[in-house]
Amino acid sequence: MRKILGRVVPAAIPLVVFMVGMEWLVRVGWIKAFLVPPPSAVFNTLLRDWRELFTALAKTSAGALAGFALSATGGIAIGVFLSSSRAIQRAFYPYAVFFQTVPIIAVAPLLVIWFGYGMRTVVASAFIVSIFPVIANTLSGLLSTDPALRDLFRLYGASNSATLWKLRFPAALPQILTGLRIAGGLAVIGAIVGEFIGGQGLGSVVDVARTQQRTDKVFAAVLLASALGLALFGFINLLSRVLLRRWHASEQD
Amino acid sequence: MSFQRRTFLKLLPAAGFLAACSKSSSKIRLALNWKPDPEFGGFYAADFAKHGLDVELLPGGSGTPTVQMIGAGSAEFGIIQADELLLARARGNDVVALYAAFQNCPTAIMAHASRKLETIADLLKSGTLALESGLPFARMLKKKYGFDSVKIVPSPGGDLTTFLNDENFAQQCFLTAEPLQAKRKGVEVKVFPVSDIGYNPYTTVLAVSGELLRKNPELAKNMVTAVREGWRAYLDNPASANQKMHGLNPSMELASFAEIAEAQKPLLETSLLGKMTTERWSTLAAQLLELGDIPKAPPAAECFREL
Repeated sequence: MRKILGRVVPAAIPLVVFMVGMEWLVRVGWIKAFLVPPPSAVFNTLLRDWRELFTALAKTSAGALAGFALSATGGIAIGVFLSSSRAIQRAFYPYAVFFQTVPIIAVAPLLVIWFGYGMRTVVASAFIVSIFPVIANTLSGLLSTDPALRDLFRLYGASNSATLWKLRFPAALPQILTGLRIAGGLAVIGAIVGEFIGGQGLGSVVDVARTQQRTDKVFAAVLLASALGLALFGFINLLSRVLLRRWHASEQD
Repeated sequence: MSFQRRTFLKLLPAAGFLAACSKSSSKIRLALNWKPDPEFGGFYAADFAKHGLDVELLPGGSGTPTVQMIGAGSAEFGIIQADELLLARARGNDVVALYAAFQNCPTAIMAHASRKLETIADLLKSGTLALESGLPFARMLKKKYGFDSVKIVPSPGGDLTTFLNDENFAQQCFLTAEPLQAKRKGVEVKVFPVSDIGYNPYTTVLAVSGELLRKNPELAKNMVTAVREGWRAYLDNPASANQKMHGLNPSMELASFAEIAEAQKPLLETSLLGKMTTERWSTLAAQLLELGDIPKAPPAAECFREL
């Protein structure tokens, strides 16, 4: 119990100070409420429109998670494939970088044509913006295996696939997990951008609230989106702890 | 008439001098809610310097929050739509309209002509409709006809890709923009202005914060005069302003500028040129009140000022 408090309290202090400060600045009129809503207004909106907001959050979560799952599996697979030879890297890596630089807003109308309005466009958008960090981190992890250990595997005549699954992949895990952490946040952003054009979830709520000049509702939706990002981040940290606890310095107390 | 004009001309240099004395050294910012296009022709045609004003036009984009910018003081003047102003006032943002360029709202819905639709009600019986569903007219449509048999999707902005590819796809548009573009791509369209359902807010409205209007009414007056003359000039001869805007927004062809400038003329209603009436503001406020967008209708007289 004390351990949990010791973790939560330091993280909560900046939040409380920030909230109280914001509320005060708006109340005394230094910040205009139509520009940045006071935390109390955002909280009230969360309570009043909870049904609409949480239904939207469920949709966004589904889209972001599906996109994230796709880019996790796809990204790791592509990373493994690229690490297999220099020639393959030279041939395909530039196209992987392409995903990193796609201005999603510009291709949005095409996504709608290919995938239709709704969930599939959202998943595609989340996937496109979140796959690159997984590829890049997987690749760099697989390429930085300790040479001494590699020599050892060669000395004992281990096959290529044995070297990959017993040595290089496990050794790359910390980096792969870092890639996944970055991808998690990006998937949430990608899902919301997809929803602007695909029309559902929190993206749609933000879009409508913005045209109605309801900054309180925009902030409430943003708050839920960051909660989703945080949850995804927490999940990957947990995964990382389970996978690395026994042997990697980053997860040992 | 001619006497008035002559007096006016004589007074001009004096007005300019006075304005120069007060505090015209600082730039006046006018925030637009879209890229330079004929919709803003009068503002680009205006000779602000003649009225002692040093005005910088700030082009915007999709979703530029001009109302909030005026309220926050990040622009002295801004271009807004009448319904935005009523929403803003209801949320405590004191913004006042000065000059309404579009007397009739250019927002419309366009569909493929091949569908042989007669009314908006027909259009809502099938297919897909792309709308900015947060906008009051969208909710008014929903309230009036229901969206049960039409699929509503988000508006793709000015993009026509889906529209051109799908005959049963209709979308929100600007009366003077997308329909012309679709025709150029070989698709015949039928256009339904939203004013058909009785929703007709003033559009491309020059607005200012109530605070600035109280502090410096002279500045606002000069601004309105310059803008009115600008629009007069643009309606008479749009060529030079079009050239200027084309330079700033080269992705739009010069021929399109000329075409749109001509097409939008009826919406500007030259006899009223910028004037607003209490009646129109009250009607709009009553409509927004009924939709539940604003808690109570503000007095129409607060919303605009004739200068």
